[in-house]
Amino acid sequence: MKTRWNPIYRQILDEIEKEVQVHPHYADLQNQFALLLRMEGEVEKAETHFLEAIRLNPRYREAILNLGFLYMELRRWKEAEEIFLSEVKRHPKDGFLHHILGILYLQTGRQREAAPRIHKAIQSHTYFRDYYKKKGVKQREVVHFNRNAERALKKIHLNHHDAQFHNFIGLYLAKKRRSAQAVKELRKAARLKPDEFIFHANLGTVYTYQGVYPKAIQEFQKALEMDPSYGMGYANLSYVYGLMRRTHDALRHMKKAVQMNPRYADLHYNLALLYSDRKRYEEAVLELKKALRINPSYLFARINLGVLYEDQKKWKEARREYRKILQITPNDEHIRKRLERIS
Amino acid sequence: MLKEDFVIQSNIRRILIRTSINYSRMDFGTVKGVVYIRGVFQISLSSKDGEEEKMKNLTINTLYSLEKKLRSIPGVSDVIFQLLNWRKERGQWVPVEIKKVEGEKKEEEDENKMESNL
Repeated sequence: MKTRWNPIYRQILDEIEKEVQVHPHYADLQNQFALLLRMEGEVEKAETHFLEAIRLNPRYREAILNLGFLYMELRRWKEAEEIFLSEVKRHPKDGFLHHILGILYLQTGRQREAAPRIHKAIQSHTYFRDYYKKKGVKQREVVHFNRNAERALKKIHLNHHDAQFHNFIGLYLAKKRRSAQAVKELRKAARLKPDEFIFHANLGTVYTYQGVYPKAIQEFQKALEMDPSYGMGYANLSYVYGLMRRTHDALRHMKKAVQMNPRYADLHYNLALLYSDRKRYEEAVLELKKALRINPSYLFARINLGVLYEDQKKWKEARREYRKILQITPNDEHIRKRLERIS
Repeated sequence: MLKEDFVIQSNIRRILIRTSINYSRMDFGTVKGVVYIRGVFQISLSSKDGEEEKMKNLTINTLYSLEKKLRSIPGVSDVIFQLLNWRKERGQWVPVEIKKVEGEKKEEEDENKMESNL
């Protein structure tokens, strides 16, 4: 799919350029600006800004990969190889990096080096196994592929950049409350790179903005199918069910989110609210205590805990929590009144 | 009206992500229908020199609009803002010098520590 330069892109590029002038030390902005420049065909400037993003944050994976793909596009194979090899050293089990290195070697006629990389990619995730099977790639000692597969594989690095670009534009438009256009852009990203769970997660978020909840649920579920370790996906699903007042489903998904992210105090807090709404006070108290163990200055968890104790007529415990809150926020009249009422 | 705090909390989340508010330094919570908003209130637009007044007015309008949206969530009985950089005085939002507030907070924390040590 060829990306047509749209007037909206120019407008966004101008806005991001201004942002970069105001905040030249934001690696994120430098990376986004470079992506836009690359799409406009300003590849030299794009390289400069990707490099700047990496200089500001040497572990900024997205900018590093973007630079690697830019070098591939410019057929600067050696520089691209160096980038991906150094990333593989950091993340030796990352199938995507092996996959890209395999493609790079295929592009440069180094089939013997490509084979083990593709083999590692296939071993890393069922997605790559299916992917190479679909492309008709056979792997023995060397990799064999038909002409169609070769053509498709050679476009992969272009697809990566284009997909990142549309994803960024989609998120940018969503922030500007232009949800319909945002969905179009995110859909383009997902078509270009169908295996990327984050594009579906972002679509889920934008559908949530729009209030199109069934579609939001569908997209979050797709993201979770692609990456079952995407624990926040369960939390996002739970919030959508909350917006639909389907609190039974919300509880089921929030439990799963907490199970996958046990160190995230905010999720324990939300699970506590769900229990408390169902008058399952003991479980709610337990979750609030967990949230407070993770983050002792989590004020809302403490307020909810005090109120729950009050509901259970545990006056002493309620007073203790309210006093602690007033130490942090002495001007909280609501809490002061609650304390006075039970003192 | 049934007060389901989780439903309210999900609505607040949706409202915040749909606005131009930079909520990375803010927290929010719901207690029996009472909504709490804490932290540093900022909007995610940058200002250049000479545009401070414009930004200030934009932030004030965003605060009023946020409060209105939060109060319109079914089941919300009150909204309490405990912001470090903005304060409501006689119905008007006024900016607060953030360093001063943090300094005061530090003093208070020190006092509390001394009390508990005693």
